[in-house]
This record gives sequence, C-alpha cells and structure tokens, in this order.
Amino acid sequence: MKNKTITILILLSLFIPVTAFSITGEEIIRRADDMQVFETSEASGEFQIKDRFGVKVSTFNSWSRGTNESLIEFTSRAERGQKVLRTEDELYLFYPDAEELIRMQGSMLRQSMLGSDISYEDMTGGKDRISQYDVILEGEESFKGKDCYVLVMTAKVRTVPYPKEKLWIDKETFLVWKAEYYTKSDRLLKEMETLDTQIINGRTIAVETRIVDKMKTDTETIMFLSDIKINIPIHNSMFSLEELSW
Amino acid sequence: MKFLISLAFKNLTRYKRRTLITAGAIAFGLMMYIFVDSLLLGIEIESVRNLKWFETASARILNDDYWENRFQRPLDINIADPDSIMSKLDDNGISSTKRVEFSGDLILNSTDFGEDGNMSVLVTAVDTERDFDVFKFDTTLQEGRFLEADDDAVILGSWLAEDIGAELGYWITIVTRGNGGFYEAMDLEIVGIVNCPNPNVNRTLIMMPIDVADEYLAMEGAATEISIKLPESADIDAEVIRIQGLLNGDGLTVMSWKSMAADYLAIAEAKRGGTGMILFLIFLIAAVGISNTMLMAIFERIRELGMMRSLGMSDKKIRIAFMIEAAGIGLIGSIMGVFLGLIVNFFVVKYGINYGDMYRDMDIGYRVQAIIRGAWNFKTMGIAFFAGIFISTLVAFFPTKRALKMDIPSCLRHQ
Amino acid sequence: MTIKLVNTALRNISRNKRRSILSGVAIGVAAMAIVMMFSLIAGMQADMESNLKSYYTGGIRIRNENYEKYERFNPVHLTVEANTIEKILDTIEEVDTYVPRTSFPSNLYIEGTNFGAMGVGADFEKEANFIDLAGSLKKGRLPEKGKNEMIMGAILARDLKLKIGDKVTVMSTTAARGTNAITLKIVGLFAFPVGALNAKYFWAPIDRISYFLRMNDATQEVILKVKEDGTETATAIKIKEILKKETSVNYDVRAFTDISGTYEMIEMANTAYMIMAFIFFLLGSTVIINTTMMVIFERMREIGTLGALGMHGKELVRLFFLEGMFISIIGTFIGVLAGIGFTILLGKTGIDMTEAMQGMDFEISGMVYPKLSIGKTVFVFFYSVIIASLATLLPSRKASKIQPVEALRYV
Repeated sequence: MKNKTITILILLSLFIPVTAFSITGEEIIRRADDMQVFETSEASGEFQIKDRFGVKVSTFNSWSRGTNESLIEFTSRAERGQKVLRTEDELYLFYPDAEELIRMQGSMLRQSMLGSDISYEDMTGGKDRISQYDVILEGEESFKGKDCYVLVMTAKVRTVPYPKEKLWIDKETFLVWKAEYYTKSDRLLKEMETLDTQIINGRTIAVETRIVDKMKTDTETIMFLSDIKINIPIHNSMFSLEELSW
Repeated sequence: MKFLISLAFKNLTRYKRRTLITAGAIAFGLMMYIFVDSLLLGIEIESVRNLKWFETASARILNDDYWENRFQRPLDINIADPDSIMSKLDDNGISSTKRVEFSGDLILNSTDFGEDGNMSVLVTAVDTERDFDVFKFDTTLQEGRFLEADDDAVILGSWLAEDIGAELGYWITIVTRGNGGFYEAMDLEIVGIVNCPNPNVNRTLIMMPIDVADEYLAMEGAATEISIKLPESADIDAEVIRIQGLLNGDGLTVMSWKSMAADYLAIAEAKRGGTGMILFLIFLIAAVGISNTMLMAIFERIRELGMMRSLGMSDKKIRIAFMIEAAGIGLIGSIMGVFLGLIVNFFVVKYGINYGDMYRDMDIGYRVQAIIRGAWNFKTMGIAFFAGIFISTLVAFFPTKRALKMDIPSCLRHQ
Repeated sequence: MTIKLVNTALRNISRNKRRSILSGVAIGVAAMAIVMMFSLIAGMQADMESNLKSYYTGGIRIRNENYEKYERFNPVHLTVEANTIEKILDTIEEVDTYVPRTSFPSNLYIEGTNFGAMGVGADFEKEANFIDLAGSLKKGRLPEKGKNEMIMGAILARDLKLKIGDKVTVMSTTAARGTNAITLKIVGLFAFPVGALNAKYFWAPIDRISYFLRMNDATQEVILKVKEDGTETATAIKIKEILKKETSVNYDVRAFTDISGTYEMIEMANTAYMIMAFIFFLLGSTVIINTTMMVIFERMREIGTLGALGMHGKELVRLFFLEGMFISIIGTFIGVLAGIGFTILLGKTGIDMTEAMQGMDFEISGMVYPKLSIGKTVFVFFYSVIIASLATLLPSRKASKIQPVEALRYV
C-alpha cells in the first residue's frame, strides 16, 4: 500500500509517478515516487501567495493517509475553519458559514485554491498514471549543484491537464528538484521548484516549494512544511465527510 | 351618377391649388404616420434581428445534452460529424454553419497592451467560409479584415477591443482546456475589429477560425453547434420540426431562436403600450390636419353649393357630389402619401437613420453604431391609404349637411 | 402698424368664427401633441437618471481611490470606511440621502454546479429612504440585519428554480484575497424597474456580507443623492475636499455623469429623443403652416374686396400676419394647456413602455411618467405662434400681388 505525505499529494500530483517496469525513465519516476511515500503523516504549513496586490499568508494543518486521503484545515484568520478533504475520488470544501459541503468536480476543479498558483485539480492527481504518459530519459544535468536526471513526459491521453512535463530528479535522493509543465506546443504553463529539503526517516523531503503559474502575471506561491510527523496513528473517521462538518 | 363624378372631377382640376394643398396636407400626414410607424416597428424588430443576425441565428442544432449544460460550455458534449449534417441541410436548401464555442482566459501581454491582464472570455470558432451565410458579420467590419482558414488570428468586437485597449496587429493569448481537459494556450493575432449593432456581442466577441481551434482543442472535426438561417417569412416552428425530422434522432436537438432567446432577452408579448401612444399622437395630428383642410375647403364653397341648389340640384345629389370630390382629394392625397411613404420607407429600411454620426465628435468611450432602421409594414400603408380617403370623405359630410340645412339665400350669401 | 389694423384683424377673427376656430384648433392640437411628446421624453430621461442614481452609481459615488484602476480584477480589498464617511456626510447640507453598498461577483453553488450571480450587500433600513424597496419587493420580506438571509431577483430565482425558503450557498473571493462561502436563505423576491437587475442580482444585509468577505466593517462604496438635481458635480468636489481634510484619505468621489458608461448612455438616449422630437415638430409645424395657408387662400375674394377698397400690399400682409398671430396665440395657448393637462394626468398613471424599449439597452423601466418641463412648454408656445404667424407671410404676399379684379373673380 503506498503512503504519501501531504507534500506528495500536492507536488507529486503534478508529476505523477508512472509505475511500469521497463525503461529507465519510468524506473526513475517510480523511485522518486517511492521516496516520498509514508503510511500516515501530519504536518503544519503555510502558503505564501503573491499576486499583484501583495503577499498573503495562509497557515494550515494537514493529515494524510494512504494514496488518496488527505485533509487540510486552515488556521490563519482569514480562512479559519475552512477545510479541504480529498478522498479516493473526490474533493470537498468545508466553509464554517456554509450549511453544506461543496463538492468540487468537473470544471470547478480548475479553480485555483485560495487564489494561489495551485489549482484544486493539481491536488486531485496522484492516481494511476501509467497509461497516461510516455516517459523518456533525456539526459543528465546539474541543477543547484546537484546531479539530476532530466525526464520528459508526454501525455498519451487528452484527459490530463498538462500535455507535457519536464522533470529534474536528483540522481542520489530521487527528489524532484524542478518540474516544468507545458502545452502540446511547448508553451510553459507552470513551474515548480524545490527550495529547501529535510531528511526524514532517511528520505529527503521538500519542505519549501515554489509554484508559479506562468499564465498569470507576476504571481508565485511558496509552500512551507514544518513539524512533519510520520506514521503516527490517525483516526479512521478523520477523512470522512461527517468529520469534515465539524 | 356619371354626371356627378365628372362634376367632381372638373371641380378638382379647376381648383388645382386648393386640391393640391388639401391633398398635400393629407399626403404629408399619411407619410409621417407611415414613417414613424416604420421606425417604431423597426426598433422592435431590431432587437430580434440583432439576436438572430449575431447571436442565435434562426435556429440551432445541438447535442441533446448541451443546452442544460450550456453555462459550462462543455466541449465533449458535441456534434461529432457536423459536415455531413450540413451537407444534408444544403440538399434541402437550408443555410447552415458550424461553430465551436468555448471559454477560456484572455491573457494580454505587456509589450502590446502596456499592462498585463487576465480575464475570462468566451471564444467563438467559426467556419470562415460558411459563417456569413448564416450570420451577418459581413457588414460590421470596422478595421482590418475577416478571418481566413488556417489563420492564427482573432477578430474582436469593438467594445471589447476598446475595453482592453486592443489594436490591429496586437497578439493575445487564450488559455483554455481542450476536449478532454488538457491545458492549451493559443497565441493569436488581432486581424480585425467588428462593430456589431448587438451590444452584447460587441462587448464580448472573440472570433477565431474553426480549423485552428479544432487543432488546438483536439475536436477532431466535431462542433458544439450548427447554426441555421431561415428566411424571414418562414414559419420557424414548422421548420424546426422539419429539420428535426431530417436529423432522425442521432442524439441531436433543434432549437428555434425563440426558445434560446428567453435566455438573452425577456421578450414580452407585444403589448404596444408606449408605441401605441406615439402612433396615436401622430395619427391625431395627421387626422386633424386632414380634417381641418377638408373642412375649410368645403366651407369655402358653400356659396357654390347654394348656387347648385338654386339651380335645382337635389340635396342628395349635391351631397354625393361633394363627397365624391372629397373622396377624390382624399384619394389623391392617399396616393401621394403612400407613395412618399414608400420612398421614405425604402431609405429608412435600407440605410436607416444613423445617429451615431451625430456625436462622433464627442469624446465618448463607446463609438456606437447607432442606426435606427425602419421596417416594411404594408398593413400600416394600407390603413393609411384608406384612412386618408375615409377621413376626407367623412369630414366632408358634416359641413355639407350643415350647408344643406341652411336656406338657399343664406348659402348664397355665405362668406 | 396702426391700431386700426389690429382692430380689423381682431374683428375679422371674431366675425368668421368658424374659420378661426378651425385653424385655431389645428394649431392647438399640433401644439398639444408636441408638448406631450416633450413631456414623454422628459419623463424617460428622468426615469433613466433615476434608475442610474438609485441602483447603480447614485448621484455621487464614493469609492476607494484605487478601485477603478484594478476594477477588472475584482479588488474586494479596496474599501472605504463607510461609518466615518457617513458621519461626515451628515454634516454636508447638499446631501439628501446615502447608503453603503458592496457589489461582488459570486458563484451560487446549486446541486453540484456553480452559477454566476452578482451580490449586493445593502443596509436595508437606509435603503428604504433611498430606493422604493417596499414597492419592488414582490414576494416575501426583507432580510433582517445580522441574519444569513437574502432577497433574490425574481428572474434569477426563476432561472435557478429557487423559491422563498430555499437556501443557497454563495462562494466568492474575499478582501483577504482568499475564498469563502456562506449559506443564505431566500426570504423575498424583488423586481426592480430595471430588468437586468432582476436577472443577475441578489441582495443581502451588508453586515453579513462584510463579514463574509472579510471586510472588517468596511464597504466597497457609499452612494448618495443630492437635494438639488444638477448640483452633483459641484457637490462631489466639495465632498472630496471635506473628506480629505477630515480623514486624510483621498477618496474617489464622482458625480454620476463623470462615471464612464453612464454619461455615454445618457447622451445616446438624448440623441434618440431629439430625433423623435424632431419628427413631431416637423409634423406639427406642417399642420400649422398648411392650415394658415389654407385660410389665406380661402379668402381670395376678401383680398380682392380689400384691394378694391384701397388696402394693398404691405398693409394686407400685415393684416393677415396679425390675424395669424392672434389665432395662433389663442390656439396654442389652449393646446398647450390641454397638453399640460394630459401630461399631469398621465404623469400620475404612467405609460407602459416595456415594448418600445425592448431592443434598447437604456436602463429605462417599463413604466414611464411624463414630466412637464416648463422651459420646453414655453418654447413650444412661442415656436407655434411664430411659425403660424410667419406662415401667413408667403401666401398673403402672393395674394396681395393679385389684382383686385382677379381676386374678386376667385370664387
């Protein structure tokens, strides 16, 4: 059973591990994927969201379990009490002043979360992508002083948001240092870069990540993680809808 | 009877000036009535026309499920093989064109636009050859040129262009999702700006060639709609049923502009409240003008009437003679009036009154193509024609009757 | 012009009552129609202005200085301190009434899908003095302060298949540039005179909206009406200065005519009206001219007689001129009075213009109340008199040139 932290949820959904057994490229992805996976996790964090009006900070707590389940609860004043729940197939939003849960689906997922450079869609990835991308190992490059594999992933189907992705993966730690997301015709849509890491249980995890939506002007979102706890016991009902309403 | 008619006729020609002035009054009044009615009708028709020429067309073929999901503008709920349907329609003499409508984000780059921007837009991808068969954009080009197949280009509505400060030659980027959900970004050059009388369209129109959109969006030849043009005189509902029959199932629905228009305009049942008032006032003035002139013409001739009586003509014959004459004047006036009305109508229907020119010099943000067009209303012309004759004759009745009541010497002395 | 001529003119008029009445009536009717047309137009103009001032921009609008620059990006966070502003407005005598408002685009989450709608946060107590809220509320009641309630445009409710008692979740971007959602219960449906408002808008208590949008008791704008129409521009300047002095904040204070979009609409409407008025004028004038000319031609024999008695040329022309003038004065006077009378009458009941206004994007309501304009009425009066008098000149000059003998034969 694959386990992932909330980091993976957001980040890796952007560059999905493809688990196939043949070529080196896919093998690399697989190992990068494995590196970031835990049974359960808990963390605190904050988003620093910058747009034309300035920088906004939103703090949160997060929990995750398994491949697909995660919960974010916002703690900053402006968003206090808001929650985002992700389960196997769905994404739900909870707002304290709303009397119902908002189920994000279809084109609603394309909205950005909190006005950041991350969309809800980016958060719901992480499912089986074997059949969705072709992976090619293009070569090797040094990035920020680290030796990296450079991989290019091309979508095989039309249903994934990013038709093309380019990844820089550390040869030693299999951490994804940088990722670029393109359209079919190589138009840069989004960029992700790992700014700082931490070693937990022998694995290197990104604790400071920057994401930039290249289609918007002058924006950037930096995500920080702290107080990361791995494989702690988590309530069964934590990722249920009922729990969400509390 | 023949005598009376020839008498009337002779009178008419003998007093040409009087006849002409009276007929002129009738003619002018009727012409104005026809003119104003034409304008008012034209305005009423304009909104419908704007809708049909630039937004809904006469009817539209959609995938069965499209209409209820139309706000989301889904690309996957589409018409898979629009070309074969269009050729079937061609065989039946119906003009049609295919379109793909999708929503996206318009990105302005600072090199051209001075400031970066990002706004939600609706893009219409058109068949560059067939679109003019159904929609009337061909008369609206303000600057630049129309689209051609394979152009990485767009045409904007002029209000939209002004809003964002766009000019010919600028490049814009549209970021959207293709058929399936994948991101796509299209760089397109602004090659034309249209000034469309439909303000809704003018405010939001972004048009691009359908073959280019097809490639970017991976539509594989599918379209989100087929728009149809039917002749003005066609029975829309009957045609919709007929076309639906041609499609025989296939998961497609035909909608008339009326069923689609409820969304755009709340078109109330024709009550003609305010317009009735305006027309009534005009009719009143015209009627008064006619009556007035007629009355004076008759009263002027009471002496003559007295003379006829003293010569032995019967009251009835005199009355008829005068009425025929009055009807004659009315006829001349009506003919002139309707004739003038036709001419004026022709100009106002074809060219309209362009009041946009009036304030072209004023520094207004929106340069509106403000043209009021008239409309042909033969019913009104018919009414006007008969009204002219009827009123004249009717009005002649009263003074004649009064004169016939007087004794003959008073008639003769009448001044 | 001798007194004798005047007396002769008056005598002629009274002696031939039938003829005088006929031409007088024609002139009067034309004048009346023109007066009524102008009143109708004035009513429409007043109506449009009133709608703009009540529902959109107010007579004067006070906003954050930077709001317009970023308007495209929905800058919810660019607010004004309504409480402070309102206290200051209370001290300015030109100000009549004011209300705080916050308009925001939002998504209504209904059965799993989003529908776009515009929300307005309003202080319903204050709005009662500002707009005809009670009259516009078609069903239900107004929301109570502090409650999560809303009233919705009747057409919007119909389109979304909602009714009173239904709850709707509203999602929007907040002043903190995040998102928030709140559930509001529909307690009433409204139908403002401007159709567009009823198809896209819902209104909710401004304190709840402020909270929902994290605005900290600030609002997006304060709009106000002035006591005297037409003084908006000057008053706006005054308000801006006073606000700057008292609060050290530079606000964007503008009269409605200075707000882009509204002025152009008013101008466009005015031009349309000018055309309508012109048509009426033309028709009315023609009737007047025609009538007057007929009168002259009808009196050829009389002209001949007068000529035989020694009155020629100029005197004749003057005589007819005077007659024309007197008749038209009386006729126009009565006509104008009748026009005024009808206008006042219709001004109370109103005219239903919904049909005529269909294609126009003029923000005019369905019901229009003709409004009397003293200036225009006086203008019509003088114009008609002048036209009628002048209209006598051409035919009378022609007639006066004819030899008496010929004229006498002109029977």
